[in-house]
Amino acid sequence: MSTEPYKNVSLLPQTNQLVGLYSIIRDKGTARPDFIFYSDRIIRLLVEEGLNHLPVEKKDVLTHTGENFDGVGFLGKICGVSIVRAGESMEQGLRDCCRSVRIGKILIQRDEETALPKLFYEKLPEDIADRYVFLLDPMLATGGSAIMATDVLIKRGVKPERIFFLNLICSKEGIDNYHAAFPEVRIVTGALDKGLNEQKYLVPGLGDFGDRYYCI
Amino acid sequence: MSSTAVEEYLSPPSSPNRTNHQKKRKTRRSSGNSMMSYDRRNPKYVPPWTTPYIIGVGGPSGSGKTSVASKIVSMINVPWTVLISLDNFYKPLTAEESERAFKSEYDFDEPAAIDLDLAYKCISSLKEGKKTDIPIYSFVNHNRVPGKTIPIYGASVVILEGIYGLYDEKLLNLMDIKIYVDADLDVCLARRLSRDIVSRGRDLHGCIDQWERFVKPNAVKYVKPTMKNADAIIPSMGENTIAVTLLVDHIKSRLDLKSEKHIMELNRLCEISSGHKYITFASNPKVIELEQTHQVKAILTMIVDKDCDRDSFVFFVDRFAMILLSKALDNVPVHKQESLTTASNYHIQNALRCNFDRITSVSLIRSGDCFMKSVRKTIPNITIGKLLIQSDSLTGEPQLHGEFLPKDIAKFQNLLVLQGQVITGTSTLMAIQVLLDYGVKLEHMTLVVFLATEIGLKRIINAFGNKIAIIVGKIIMNQDMKESHMKWASSRFIDTKYFGCK
Repeated sequence: MSTEPYKNVSLLPQTNQLVGLYSIIRDKGTARPDFIFYSDRIIRLLVEEGLNHLPVEKKDVLTHTGENFDGVGFLGKICGVSIVRAGESMEQGLRDCCRSVRIGKILIQRDEETALPKLFYEKLPEDIADRYVFLLDPMLATGGSAIMATDVLIKRGVKPERIFFLNLICSKEGIDNYHAAFPEVRIVTGALDKGLNEQKYLVPGLGDFGDRYYCI
Repeated sequence: MSSTAVEEYLSPPSSPNRTNHQKKRKTRRSSGNSMMSYDRRNPKYVPPWTTPYIIGVGGPSGSGKTSVASKIVSMINVPWTVLISLDNFYKPLTAEESERAFKSEYDFDEPAAIDLDLAYKCISSLKEGKKTDIPIYSFVNHNRVPGKTIPIYGASVVILEGIYGLYDEKLLNLMDIKIYVDADLDVCLARRLSRDIVSRGRDLHGCIDQWERFVKPNAVKYVKPTMKNADAIIPSMGENTIAVTLLVDHIKSRLDLKSEKHIMELNRLCEISSGHKYITFASNPKVIELEQTHQVKAILTMIVDKDCDRDSFVFFVDRFAMILLSKALDNVPVHKQESLTTASNYHIQNALRCNFDRITSVSLIRSGDCFMKSVRKTIPNITIGKLLIQSDSLTGEPQLHGEFLPKDIAKFQNLLVLQGQVITGTSTLMAIQVLLDYGVKLEHMTLVVFLATEIGLKRIINAFGNKIAIIVGKIIMNQDMKESHMKWASSRFIDTKYFGCK
C-alpha cells in the first residue's frame, strides 16, 4: 500500500522489489535494454497507483451463472500528457493499462536568451477540461518544466485536483516548489531522493533519464 | 535373455500412454473403514502415487512373461502404469567378464548377474512415491549407459518383469501381487530359438549351446522354484485370457479402493476446514489477498461480467496478472551491493539488488497459462515449468497427467506456482505435492491465483500448514457463496474465456 509522506504525495511502497528495481536503473553500469525494461516496470507500478486514485461508480453486472454481481466501473474520462522527450517514455506504461487513452504532448525547452523554461509546443485533447489528466515526466528536480506544463493544463480548464503528476524520482525541494504553485495536484512517485546538487540534478539520481532511455 | 529394456509404457510423462483417458470406473465399491486410520490433529494430503500397486511377473526365459505383462497393462488401462524389465538391472561387467561375455562364456542367466539390490532400491523408492531413476543397460558395452536413466514419477501401477521377478525376498515383500508365467522348458526353448534366430539373427548352434550351458540349468535350479512364491500361476501357451482377466479384475478392484481412499482423504481435508475455526486467514500472514482498490474491484467486475467481450477480458486478465505478480515479487530474494555508482556518479552504500535469477515458476495447465504474458513482462527469462493435472469427470479425483519441470527446481529460492482459480483446491494440493516430491521446500513456494474459494484455500492450508505463501486477487468466503449469489466462483471460467475454448 502506498504511503503519503507529504500532503498530496503518494509514494509507492518501498518493498525489496521496488528498491531493487531502482538500484538497476540508477546503476551506471546498466545497459540500455535493461534500463528500458526495468524503468518500464516501475512506470507500470506508478500508473497502477495513479489509476487507483480515480473515482469509480457502482456497476452491477450479470455473471455467467446468471447471478448479479455488485461491482464497480471506471468513472470519467482520462488522458495522458507527456512532457517531451523524457515523459514520452512513460506513455507505453499508461497505454498498457488504458488501451485507447488519448495522449497529449507538451514541449518545454530552456530559452537560450533568458535561460528560463519556455513552452515550444502543445497538442492536447480538445475536451481536456472534462478529463482526469496523468502528467508524465520521469524526474522532478526543481519542478520548473512541470510547473509550466501544469500551468498550460490549468489554462485549458483542467481542475488541479484532477491532475496526477507521475514521476519516477523526486526530491523534497521539487515537491515543495511544485506544490507551492499547485498544492492540489497529487504527485505519484516511487522514490524520494536526498536533494539536488549545484547543477540542480537529483542526488543520487540516475543521470539523464531521456538520454539513457532513448540514446546512450 | 531378452533385450527389451524398459517398455514404452514406462512413461516419460509425455508418452501417449499417460494421456490416454482411462475408462471411467462405473462401479464404486464401499470400503471398510479398517484401512483408514487418521491422525485428526495432523491432516495431510496423501497423493495416490505414494502407494503404487506393484505387480511382480516371473518365469523362465521364453515363457511369455512380456506378453502377459503387456496384456495386463492394456487391460487395466490406467494411465500411470509403468512396466520395468529386470534386464535394466544387469550388473556392469569387469573387463575380464566382458571378454567372456563376448565369447558367450559369461552366465547372464544366473541370479548373481542381476543387481537385485539396486532393483530393490528403485522399487522401494517408487513405492514411497519418490521420483526414481531406472538405469539403462547396454548389452553392447555390458555396462550401464552412463548419465542416462529413465526417470519415473507418479506411477499408480508398477509391473516388474524378469526371469528372477519372484526370486529376491526383499523385492517379493514390496509386491502386491506375484504372478508366475509357466511353460514347459521345451516350449521355452522353441520360442527362444525362433525369437533369437528369426528376430535377432543369431546362429542355431550358438543358441542351443547357450541354452544347454546356461539357460536351462539356471531355469531348473533357480527359476522354477520361485513358482512357490507366486500368488497366481498363469499358463503361457494357448488361451490364457481367462486367467489374465481374473487377475485384472482383482487388480482393478484394488485400484478402485485406492482411488476411493484418495477421494476420502480429500474430502476429509475439506470437512475439517468447514468445521470452522480450524485455521483462520487472519492468523496466517502468508495468505495475502490483494488490497481491494478501485482498480482491483473494477478489473474484477469486468472479469466476472458475462457480457465483457473477449478482447477486453484478455486485457483485464493480463492486467490483473501483472498486479498479482508484482505483489508476489515483493519478497524477491535480495542481496546488498556494497557500493553502487549511479549514472550521475554518486555512490549508494549497501544498495539492494534483486536476485530475479533465483526465482522460477510453474504453471498449472491451462489456467496458470493466463499468467504467461505477464510473467514474461516481469522476469523475461524466467524458467517456466508446467504441470497438467485433470480431474476425473466422474469422481472428481485429480490425476497427474504430465510434469515438465525446470532442471534443479529445488535450488531456486522462490517458486511461483501459477493457477487461475482455486475452487476445490484438489489440483493445487496435487501440484504442491509434486513439487515437494521434487525437493522444493514449502516455504519457497508462492501460490499465485486470481480467485480462490475459502474452502479451497483452507484445504491447502490444512494439508500443508501455513508455510506456503499464497497471493490471491480475491478470496470468496463460504458465507458469500451461500448468501450473496457468488456461485460463479465455484466454476472454472477464467481460462475458458481467456483461451476461448471450452
